[in-house]
Amino acid sequence: MTARSIGVAHQIPRNSLALLMIAQVVVVLPLAPYISPWIVGVCLFCGYWRTQVYRGRWGYPASWVKTFLVAAAVAGIALSGFQSFSLEAATSLLVVAFALKLVEMKNRRDAYLVIYLSYFLIATGFLFDQSMAVTAYELAASVVVTAAMVGMNQLQTRVRPVASLRVAGTLVLQALPLTLVIFLLFPRIAPLWSIPVPSAATTGLSDTLTPGDIASLGRSDELAFRVIFDGDPPRQSELYWRGLVYSDFVYGTWALAAPLDALPRDSLDAESESASLSYEIFLEPTQSKWLFSLDTPRQYPDRVDLLGDYRLENPEPVMSVMRYKVISDPELSTDPVLDPAIRERESRLENPNDNIRLQAYARDLYERAGSVEAMVYAMMAHIREEPYSYTLNPPTLARYDSIDEFWFDTRRGFCSHYAGAMVYALRSVGVPARMVGGYQGGEINPVTGHMVVRQYDAHAWVEVWIEGKGWQRFDPTAAVAPARVEDGLNAALSSEDRETLSFLSATRMESENVLADALRFFDSLEYRWNLWVVGYDVDTQANVLKKLFGEVTPSRIGVALVLGGAVSLAMVVLGLFFWRKPASSHPSERVFSRFCAAMSRHGIKRLPGETPVVFLERIAEEKNIDVGILPELVQRALYDPIGSQQRSARMNLKKELRKLRFRLALG
Amino acid sequence: MDSAALTDQQQTGSSLKNKESNTRLGGRFGAWLDRRIPPGQRITLSQRNVFIFPTRSGFTFGGLLVILILGAINYQNSLVHGVAFLLGSIFVVTILYTFRNLSGLSLELAQSGNGFVDEDVEFAVRVTRPKGKGREGIQIGWPDGFKQWVEVYDREASVVKLYVRADRRGWLKPGRLLVETYFPLGLLRAWTWVDIEARALVYPKPIFQSIPATQSSRHRDEGELIDPLGSDDFVDIREYEPGDRIKNIIWRSYARSDELVVKRYASYLEPRLWFDFEDLAGDTEEKLSRLTGLALQATRAEREFGVRLPDRTIDPGVGETHLDQVLRELALFGIHDR
Repeated sequence: MTARSIGVAHQIPRNSLALLMIAQVVVVLPLAPYISPWIVGVCLFCGYWRTQVYRGRWGYPASWVKTFLVAAAVAGIALSGFQSFSLEAATSLLVVAFALKLVEMKNRRDAYLVIYLSYFLIATGFLFDQSMAVTAYELAASVVVTAAMVGMNQLQTRVRPVASLRVAGTLVLQALPLTLVIFLLFPRIAPLWSIPVPSAATTGLSDTLTPGDIASLGRSDELAFRVIFDGDPPRQSELYWRGLVYSDFVYGTWALAAPLDALPRDSLDAESESASLSYEIFLEPTQSKWLFSLDTPRQYPDRVDLLGDYRLENPEPVMSVMRYKVISDPELSTDPVLDPAIRERESRLENPNDNIRLQAYARDLYERAGSVEAMVYAMMAHIREEPYSYTLNPPTLARYDSIDEFWFDTRRGFCSHYAGAMVYALRSVGVPARMVGGYQGGEINPVTGHMVVRQYDAHAWVEVWIEGKGWQRFDPTAAVAPARVEDGLNAALSSEDRETLSFLSATRMESENVLADALRFFDSLEYRWNLWVVGYDVDTQANVLKKLFGEVTPSRIGVALVLGGAVSLAMVVLGLFFWRKPASSHPSERVFSRFCAAMSRHGIKRLPGETPVVFLERIAEEKNIDVGILPELVQRALYDPIGSQQRSARMNLKKELRKLRFRLALG
Repeated sequence: MDSAALTDQQQTGSSLKNKESNTRLGGRFGAWLDRRIPPGQRITLSQRNVFIFPTRSGFTFGGLLVILILGAINYQNSLVHGVAFLLGSIFVVTILYTFRNLSGLSLELAQSGNGFVDEDVEFAVRVTRPKGKGREGIQIGWPDGFKQWVEVYDREASVVKLYVRADRRGWLKPGRLLVETYFPLGLLRAWTWVDIEARALVYPKPIFQSIPATQSSRHRDEGELIDPLGSDDFVDIREYEPGDRIKNIIWRSYARSDELVVKRYASYLEPRLWFDFEDLAGDTEEKLSRLTGLALQATRAEREFGVRLPDRTIDPGVGETHLDQVLRELALFGIHDR
């Protein structure tokens, strides 16, 4: 019942093929840092192969070659050392599949599959980075991919890629208003199931901590999170962002213990309303469940748990920027009565034979000090008085007796070295103590007033349980480098350490620097982007909709969607059905009329009906200037049957007119 | 020969049946279409007569959107939501684009050619667009022919030639013309079936045979002397010219007068050929085919000819116009729709 298509209709048009090759590069490029370098090589090779197929030099891969390539790629990814089922491994697999599909792409259906995969890869890019710059880039990428799809439906003999790109660009621009309406109104919902790609820590803290690790974080200026406080932020030295509680120490490495149960909600009563801190955090993806907060969270989002060690935990790993509001109460005493199970957990030594010298030192110190607090202060005094130093580049320690080596021999370390030694010493005498990992400090962005916490703010400190007082925070780093706690890392670093910093990290830490100011300005833009777009989640949407509609009902949302959609499409309808293309004048005429407009600013107006040549002669007379060959050029570019079709004639005219204007301007 | 012609006839009959159902596009649907989009010589497309529906690629695209939204929800990623919403919005905008690409176009038959059975007959269709933006990526085609791309981009009208295989003599009505577009993304198909009342005359398939043997005319002054050789009819005598046959020399006369004189014999061709339906072999269709062949041959030989059909006689004539008239009568023999 339908007319037949000629065979050509099943082929991929040439301009669409060219656009697909460009799209491949454009789409894979932002993923390149997250996948193995050899996969980028595979993509380039596949692109080259397909180009050779197009030129007729190589053939499509035979089926055994395809089978071999797929097997080799899967094996390669398995051997690439990704954590199994990590986002990176999944993305690598997707990129390889995309590249191989590109090679064997023969007909329209294959091309559409490649196009859809391209869109999918664009979305995947946002799993790794949601910044404004990446968004702008991916928007441009989507225009290229859409252009490839447009090319599939145009007559291939006439259309060049630029024409397809123009259609696609218009299409994407026209779709944007509707996108915004849907973005605002489409109901956001909580995750449906847990994602099978957890825990591939990129940068940031991890669930194990070897004291040297955190020092390498000190060199990264990557964003950890942004915070906006209701009211004034506390002093720098009070900003201890708790995230992880390391309770186990096994031969040189601190690790999280099995998570404690969640505390019942509202179990903590406000001690004093006035001292409580209310703030909202925009946490960059950590691929982990832990959330950061100040001591001690009293109110937190419904989906989030407060665990027995007073840290917040999200039900699923944080894969995108997550915003959450917390009210903390710094005065709140935690665990005034310690549960025996927790006491055991926080005071045990896994390897009693490790670090024997420190154990003996601790027993001696405890005996002399008489109390837990006195012992802690004695240790701090020891650090202050002995030649200990604070450095980003600590010496490497052996796996066994690592704390002994640090405390007695090398005496050079980062925050975690000092914290680890103190916790170990306290545990040696049976005192419950634990190492807390997180960030300390933060920089206020003067443009928007939010606080920025970066990876170089990563810090480790100590919590000690003291009879009658509960858990108390102590920071041995304050003993070795008080400036670190008061003024941030930069103030505490030696000049040798500073040289090991990357340029950007070093710049950001400066307060008086033009480039640092520019970076702060971009950070403020990025903050607003996070506030309005990236952080537009279930709760934020509920608030916004409540403000817009009062009561939020499905029917109101539906009506708003339809109305908003109609308004945002009205422009498109007007453009498509009612817009008439204005009669376009000859390009040389436009050149000359621009010249006339410039002349009227000089006080010489072209009279109605005055021909260009007469006008030029009048200029020559009135301004007493030589117009040279311009009359001939005008004649040629505007009226000569051949010259008026030539770009070169127009360009000549343009150049000479510009010269004339220049000479007139000089007088 | 006869049996072969008979099977041929049956085949023609069966394909004719197919043709009927094809052109009418099925009974009920066809009737509905006839009410919805009545036939006309010039049909302008609008929301009344254009249909639009997602293609298979369009449904796959929808699947992609669902996957993206699920991913966005599970990763709680606003920008993946954004990608899904952008693609969804593009789809919605595309509905307008695809519909607009056909809306306002006018279709009419510019010209139809003629042809013989088993040949492709040409129909030239003119597609005109209203002022405004150009249209591209449109395909048109008859149910039994190949689709052709149409571009009405820079110009306001373009003429597309379409070919339909003729499988029986008489009027070839290719039926409703399919006008469709997948522009811009191939996610949606907008299409319509319009009846622009196109028809073309199909002549019988010619069977060539030699023109029946010359018939002598009894009237000497009529016609043309054709074959001076080997005929019996004596015409006259004249002086010998080199090249005359020796046996035609009148030797007696030579003996008498010493002059070489030759006798001339000739037959006069009946100048007007008459091809008679009744005289030819085969059934009706075969006879018509033979007549067609004869008419073509006679015209090529620039001979004057007339045709006698059972119900009418076509007076002798010569040239293309005459041939057209003859072929038209042969094509429409026994068909009432003239």
